[in-house]
Amino acid sequence: MKKFILAASVLVAVYSCKKAETGAKENTTEAISEAPKTNNKIVTLNGGITEIVAALGHEKEIVGTDVTSTYPASLKATAKDLGHMRSMTIEPIMAVNPTLILASDKDINPELMGKIKSSGIQTEVFKQEYTVEGTKKLIEQVAKAIGNTDYQKLNDKIDADLKQVQPIAKKPKVLFIYARGNMLMVSGKNTPMASLITLAGGENAVTDFEDFKPLTPEAVVKANPDVLFFFETGLQGAGGNEGALKMPGVSQTNAGKNKKIIAMDGGLVSGFGPRVGEAAVGLNKLLIESTK
Amino acid sequence: MKAPSKLYFYLVISAVLLVIIAVLSLNTGVYDFGENSRFRALWQFIKGDSGLSLSDKYVIWDVRAARIIMAILIGSMLSVSGTSLQGLFKNPLATGDLIGLTSGATLLAAIAIVLGGHFKEYLPEAVQFSLVGIAAFIGSFLSMMLVYRISTSGGKTNVVMMLLTGVAITAIGFSITGFLIYISKDEQLRDLTFWNLGSLAAATWTKNIILAIVAIIAYIILLPKGKALNAMMLGEKDAQHLGINVERLKKQIIITVALMVGTCVAFSGTIGFVGLIVPYILRLLFKSNYVFILPLSAMCGSILLLTADTFSRSIVAPSELPIGILTALMGGPIFIAILVKFKKSL
Repeated sequence: MKKFILAASVLVAVYSCKKAETGAKENTTEAISEAPKTNNKIVTLNGGITEIVAALGHEKEIVGTDVTSTYPASLKATAKDLGHMRSMTIEPIMAVNPTLILASDKDINPELMGKIKSSGIQTEVFKQEYTVEGTKKLIEQVAKAIGNTDYQKLNDKIDADLKQVQPIAKKPKVLFIYARGNMLMVSGKNTPMASLITLAGGENAVTDFEDFKPLTPEAVVKANPDVLFFFETGLQGAGGNEGALKMPGVSQTNAGKNKKIIAMDGGLVSGFGPRVGEAAVGLNKLLIESTK
Repeated sequence: MKAPSKLYFYLVISAVLLVIIAVLSLNTGVYDFGENSRFRALWQFIKGDSGLSLSDKYVIWDVRAARIIMAILIGSMLSVSGTSLQGLFKNPLATGDLIGLTSGATLLAAIAIVLGGHFKEYLPEAVQFSLVGIAAFIGSFLSMMLVYRISTSGGKTNVVMMLLTGVAITAIGFSITGFLIYISKDEQLRDLTFWNLGSLAAATWTKNIILAIVAIIAYIILLPKGKALNAMMLGEKDAQHLGINVERLKKQIIITVALMVGTCVAFSGTIGFVGLIVPYILRLLFKSNYVFILPLSAMCGSILLLTADTFSRSIVAPSELPIGILTALMGGPIFIAILVKFKKSL
């Protein structure tokens, strides 16, 4: 009985504190739906979003970014690199005194998100889809959040870029390998790479799983890609083309036999921002060359 | 000085030290209070000055103060749990992380997070935390029972068996937790770094209230047990003759330690070695007099973890070192020192 009373009183105490907290939280969500103001100090926590803000002409307002925000390179001098989304903590974000935080719903750490929300800083979390339509929607939402209505030109540029993608008669099967140190992952369905490969007229060699999975020799042989696709930094880290050809299982595939290895800038490929059209055209050119 | 006043003196000294470190820690961090110097911002906050900006207030109170209090509570509990276990097993190597309690707690906490993820949204935050906390408690409790059953017979603990059981539980826990993290896609499970090296970055006042309640309950039961643990050193039979209810004492220690370790793991992952370092240092000063080292380990554990956490978030600013790296760095050599010292008796 004693124990029961104790447990009950604990719950009541905790719950009452909780009540007070949620009250505070509701206020912050109301703040989010306020009219956007310009001349913000913006923290962008996603490469694509960073590019959109910069392309809309608000690069000067960005005071902090995450590690994936590599473009435009001029940001390095003006915005603080806050590190990787997964290991980021709240204080460095607060330290750049942002008035607006923009993030994507992908790979965000829920505990950090909770802290950001309770900090009272206006925060927008966008749903990110790795499609052309998704990118256009993202551009529109980001533009509205930073108080800029002149975003149509970005969407027009994407369309204009995509028109330059030339169809490839025999669609090459492309395997994207994400190499970080000794970790090799391949991208399955519903990844930005798979989406970009399709846009560029190829097809993703992996069809039987989603997201990223560790590379296994058998899976590589089974997928039998015509082309291996890397981030430039990843390919360098893996020891260039030589290293890539030595990866387990690669020698047994068409890509390995014909030495078809391509690489592009990581931010360009995975950003799905205003340069998504450019990225598709770039990849399309590389694929056409590699199928000759 | 007589013993009680001597203890009182040491407690006051360590409390003063803890307050000094806490104030320094409150003023450590990458956030810049602008022309408002840090101490002035702090003073304004204490006075409840309305001139303090919301961000300043948030950083002082919800970010730094919350984290400092969490470090104090968790450091204290880990340290006391180590001291109590060492009294129970009559061995300086018995700590929650070495005998597998933390792994057991991690495993069940992870399972609770993955399974609880399906209906988590409908529960208030406090209940979510409690769910994981309760699961972690069950995990550490089961590990504790297993270790005790396997390694203790007739009131004697076989240390090698105790440590090896811990190794086995840790291995099982690590593999299953790793697997859960691999299959859970949507970040519902914090990554392996958190579960293996710990972090205090996600401190909130809600968590601190739960931790404080657990600490108060556990300390009411454990802290007066110094004399009883001293008697236990003579052997269980002799303790029994001195009027100590040995079985009851064991049960109390097992349950409260499992509760403390479980709750700490649920909120901060695995922060190892705290329960080894603090009692070891205190033993050097006070021999194995539990009347002294039990209450002092509560204080010194806080000092140790708060210092370690302040370093962890300032060494590589703006990012931070997982705190478990620092505690292991301190704890590893001490572990070896204990092994060398007790080589003959192990």
